[in-house]
Amino acid sequence: MRMFLIRRAATLAVTLAVVSVLAFLIPYAGEGDPARKILRARVNDPALDPAQVEALTRELGLDRPLYIQYLEWLRHAVTGDFGFSYTSRTPVQELVVPALSVSISLALASLLLALLFALPLGTWAATVRGGKVDNAVTFLSQSAVSAPEYWVGPVLVLVFARYLGWLPSGGWDGLTYLVLPALALSLRPLGYFTQVTRAAMSDVLAAPYITAARSRGLSFRKTLAKHGIRNSMLPVMTLFSFWFAGLLGGSVVIEVIFNIPGMGRLLYTAVINNDVPVIQGGMLWILTLAVLINTVTDLLYGVLNPAIRVTSHA
Amino acid sequence: MPDTMTRPGPPSRPSNPPDRRRRASSHRPNVLSLLIRGTRDRHWTFNFGTALLVLILTLLVLTPWIAPHDPATQDLTNRLAGPSAEHWFGTDHLGRDVLTRLMWGGRFSVTIAAITLVICAVTGGIIGALAARRGGWLDELVMRSVDVLICFPDVVVALFLIALFGTGYGTLIAALTITGWTPFARLMRGLALEINSKDYVEAAEILGSPKAYIVFRHVIPNAVRPVLAMGFLRFGHKLITVGALSYLGLGVQPPDSDWGAMLLDAQPYMERSPSLGILPGAAIFLTALSVTMIGQGLDIKRKARKRPGTSAPAPALASVEGTAPGQGDTK
Repeated sequence: MRMFLIRRAATLAVTLAVVSVLAFLIPYAGEGDPARKILRARVNDPALDPAQVEALTRELGLDRPLYIQYLEWLRHAVTGDFGFSYTSRTPVQELVVPALSVSISLALASLLLALLFALPLGTWAATVRGGKVDNAVTFLSQSAVSAPEYWVGPVLVLVFARYLGWLPSGGWDGLTYLVLPALALSLRPLGYFTQVTRAAMSDVLAAPYITAARSRGLSFRKTLAKHGIRNSMLPVMTLFSFWFAGLLGGSVVIEVIFNIPGMGRLLYTAVINNDVPVIQGGMLWILTLAVLINTVTDLLYGVLNPAIRVTSHA
Repeated sequence: MPDTMTRPGPPSRPSNPPDRRRRASSHRPNVLSLLIRGTRDRHWTFNFGTALLVLILTLLVLTPWIAPHDPATQDLTNRLAGPSAEHWFGTDHLGRDVLTRLMWGGRFSVTIAAITLVICAVTGGIIGALAARRGGWLDELVMRSVDVLICFPDVVVALFLIALFGTGYGTLIAALTITGWTPFARLMRGLALEINSKDYVEAAEILGSPKAYIVFRHVIPNAVRPVLAMGFLRFGHKLITVGALSYLGLGVQPPDSDWGAMLLDAQPYMERSPSLGILPGAAIFLTALSVTMIGQGLDIKRKARKRPGTSAPAPALASVEGTAPGQGDTK
């Protein structure tokens, strides 16, 4: 266990080192002088005053060796200080934190919605393997998995916002604004969760301890509740955390479509506007969180399933 | 069915009759025969998916000859027209024929997804096999990299690379590859460890067979189907991600256009001409559905064979592979 933690901490450290170097290098990548690029992003004027470029170069210390600049940047970054956004002139941190909370609520809403349907569907399919219901569930889950959310989203908007006028078409101002994006976003995880629940539940139901429980006279329903659900939840949990980590920054398209001020849209607009400090801060936050969430899941996995603790990660 | 024995089963299945094992090593399955033989006793979704994919690919391959119009010809007097004999699926906001553009756009979408996938499968496969073979620090390095990269959302990685290098096909493919090779590496490593522990591999080693012989005779044939299944399963993912980036204006750049870019173009006209925003998405959906069905069809059989007699719910773990979003999801 301790070995596992040390290993994971080392992995995280190396990851952060690599990601931070890459993030630091963003203004230096490609052609041209970083000071010019920064100025261009700030003033949006192609004809730059050479004196201004010179002044900025000196102000930001861009004439120093690269590794000194990196260490300087890193010293601020570890305290959460990524500087000011070029476009909105606010500290990056004040942009990232609210955006992250929006993305977390959106991700949780859509994933819980997906679980709500996936768990019963997957369990049902597993108990009637090969039957009509199983066939239907398989087909539905395959369809759900293949439906791009940037296709489902606009169609939902068209139907429920434009034609019916029941729900707002975009923005972020209360629960009603959450419904359509969460629906669009939940479809693909719904498909995957259903498939994994079905597979895990089938495996569990074929296990000897289920036969044993049944032969002791436990009803099928009770067996399912007592042994089935608990033992089949592990793979679902892993997948849930994967998706959660992914949606924190990865729901870019849906956030853009529905105009939601989340992490994905923040990063997207930053990339479009070449707003380097926001890109750097946002990337480091999202990728760190992704690794952390998965580490926690792996730890939980070990806690919930002792068999794995002994065999893998050894 | 001799091929049943070449498939990787649980590491120590005691009931392999020796005569069947010998037949297994003398029979080398190839991809085509697997696919053809496969259709005979498969789930209907597999057959449906295969038929759908063949239809789509045929249309895309034949596009230059059968497309009804030129994809770039504009007709501003006939904008946003509904379906007609001249334009089966109507025209877009510049009066271009939608069916023609769907066909040409699909060539981009599918090609980019396929190229990325092949790169991912080959690099991931080689890295995974090497990690299994060498073990030690290399294995450690590979598996830790997989742990990390597998949980990176790939649209975020794509944004990162675009911030570094700008948009372009190279960036697009690189972004999808960075996260995309990981499931293949993990799968291949597992398979290689399993195959290497088989009696027939040990026998071949004792007999002094060269390493290359073992790799080409035992490891690769046994890995073909699982890797192929994973490839098909990932294909839908890639297609959707490529579309997402194009939808954001960061993928396929004008004048080229793919299904995602067509969806983006259609957004302002969704109300006036809904089919414009529905058809390209439906094209992505149907293509992704077909490959998903094929992938699962290939996969189900392998798992079904693994299942009898195994008491631990191990196969369920394998099904998590390839369904995780970090490796290819767009959200």
